[in-house]
Amino acid sequence: MRRPLLAYALLSPAIVAVAFLIGYPIWLAVDVSLREGRTMNILRLDRLPRGWGNYARILDEPANWDALVRSAIYVVGSVTPAFLIGLGLALLLNRAFPGRRWIRSLMMLPWAVPGVVTSIAFLWLLDGSYGVVNSLLRRTGLLEGDIAWYARQETAMLAVIVPTVWKGFPFFALTLLAAMQAIPHQLYEAARIDGASPIDLFRHVTWPGIRGPGLLAVTLHSLWVFKELDIIFAATGGGPAGATETLALRVYLEAFQFFRLGSASALGLMMMALCAILVLLSLPRMRARFF
Amino acid sequence: MPASRNIPTLIAALALAIVILFPVYWMFVTSLLPTTIVLTRDPPLLPPLASASFAAYGEVFARRPVLTWFLNSVAVTSGSVVIALLASTLAGYSLSRYRTRGQQAAGFVLLLSKMLPPTLIVIPFFIMFTTFGMIDSLVGLMLANAAVGVPFASWLLKGFFDGIPQELEQAAMIDGCSEMGALWRITMPLARPGMAASAVYLAIVAWADFVFARTLVSKPDNWLLTVGLQSFIGEHAVDWTMLMAAGSLSLLPVLVLFLLLEPFLVSGMTQGAVTS
Repeated sequence: MRRPLLAYALLSPAIVAVAFLIGYPIWLAVDVSLREGRTMNILRLDRLPRGWGNYARILDEPANWDALVRSAIYVVGSVTPAFLIGLGLALLLNRAFPGRRWIRSLMMLPWAVPGVVTSIAFLWLLDGSYGVVNSLLRRTGLLEGDIAWYARQETAMLAVIVPTVWKGFPFFALTLLAAMQAIPHQLYEAARIDGASPIDLFRHVTWPGIRGPGLLAVTLHSLWVFKELDIIFAATGGGPAGATETLALRVYLEAFQFFRLGSASALGLMMMALCAILVLLSLPRMRARFF
Repeated sequence: MPASRNIPTLIAALALAIVILFPVYWMFVTSLLPTTIVLTRDPPLLPPLASASFAAYGEVFARRPVLTWFLNSVAVTSGSVVIALLASTLAGYSLSRYRTRGQQAAGFVLLLSKMLPPTLIVIPFFIMFTTFGMIDSLVGLMLANAAVGVPFASWLLKGFFDGIPQELEQAAMIDGCSEMGALWRITMPLARPGMAASAVYLAIVAWADFVFARTLVSKPDNWLLTVGLQSFIGEHAVDWTMLMAAGSLSLLPVLVLFLLLEPFLVSGMTQGAVTS
């Protein structure tokens, strides 16, 4: 092709950014994860002896396994409803009605709201004393007394899942809507002529058209939720009594509350390995998209 | 059925939109009302307009450096968008027009960036920033935010450049334009929607940043708005009207970006999720 020198010259700022601000940091994290012991002076981290101690300690620590289970609950509990709501919205927005463009924009807004802001909005909605959700539940007779959603161990996970779903469904709605709009109209017309019911249409025309992009979106969104920190950190900080302490949160607390950078890095790298497994499982679809 | 007559769907959609936007509505309403109305067991869903005021905004500005945080956020967001957009526009063009090793690498880096937990990458950032004395530096925050945005933005822009026919540049070069000249005069103007989409995407992600801002900056005067907002929560009694005022303020730029540039945003979000 044309001058490869120019090709690399144009790429160079991005290469520099990726090498110094993603590549080197990952290497550094690997190095730190292999340093045993603790030091309060992080400039002396590289004087610590090398070894697999951090990894062994992580696997031995039951709290990490509990956090893995909580992460799984958080991911499945957040992604499933977000997908279903997104699918319902996409089906609705795929129909023609007046003002559709504006309503679509409004419905997508939650995606753009920062995690911390989402979190404080729901902290207030679900507040135990003055929260409007408790009030609405009481007024409709669904609840007798008030529930302090974030302060109770049984409800705290649900209370962080709800804002995560709220922030997550627009991604599914948009992805699935785009996939639906790529399905040729003729398929629907032909099926209708053959006497297909709306349910048949969904199962045999819409679903095959959105399944691929939908699964890919589920994978990508699961990765995002698995890594998510902002919502939980601002809402509960992992509490009460660790009820919302996911792996992502443990990595952060381990590093910046207990200052064990080595084991925090090791735990973070193991999270990445879990992400890689998820990606490998859906590699055929990933390949079509990224390569 | 023609769109203009599909009123039942419109009503269903409106009802859903109201439910979906309720958290944002409630945040704004709370920020306007006096505490006597806010702190009741059954607050009115439609607030009495007569008692609405912007008093909480004045109070939150007076008591906390919210304006400083807001401006810090604006500075870091705009800086990181400019840096990331510059690097990714050039990279996106190169990836689209030349066959280099960059193609495979770009896909790999993008996937890697999707798998990289922010709570992990911030650890080496913290070590690097401490080593180079860049803790508490807003420029450092810009670089950190730009770096995580570059892979996705480059790849997004590559998609847009793919849609611009090479023949246009070749025609310009036959007419005596240099290669860079053709890129600058012909391709760039055509790629503006792609750049807008990437800029909005980058801006929304940088504006939302919390992990980097909380870790790499310590002085309250250097905090970003997200960190400042979070600091309201640890206190014994949260001042809800003030917090909701600051929260509403943080949504202002998001709303502006969203309403002005929504078509670009949608193309950015769905690009590639559906191979077209």
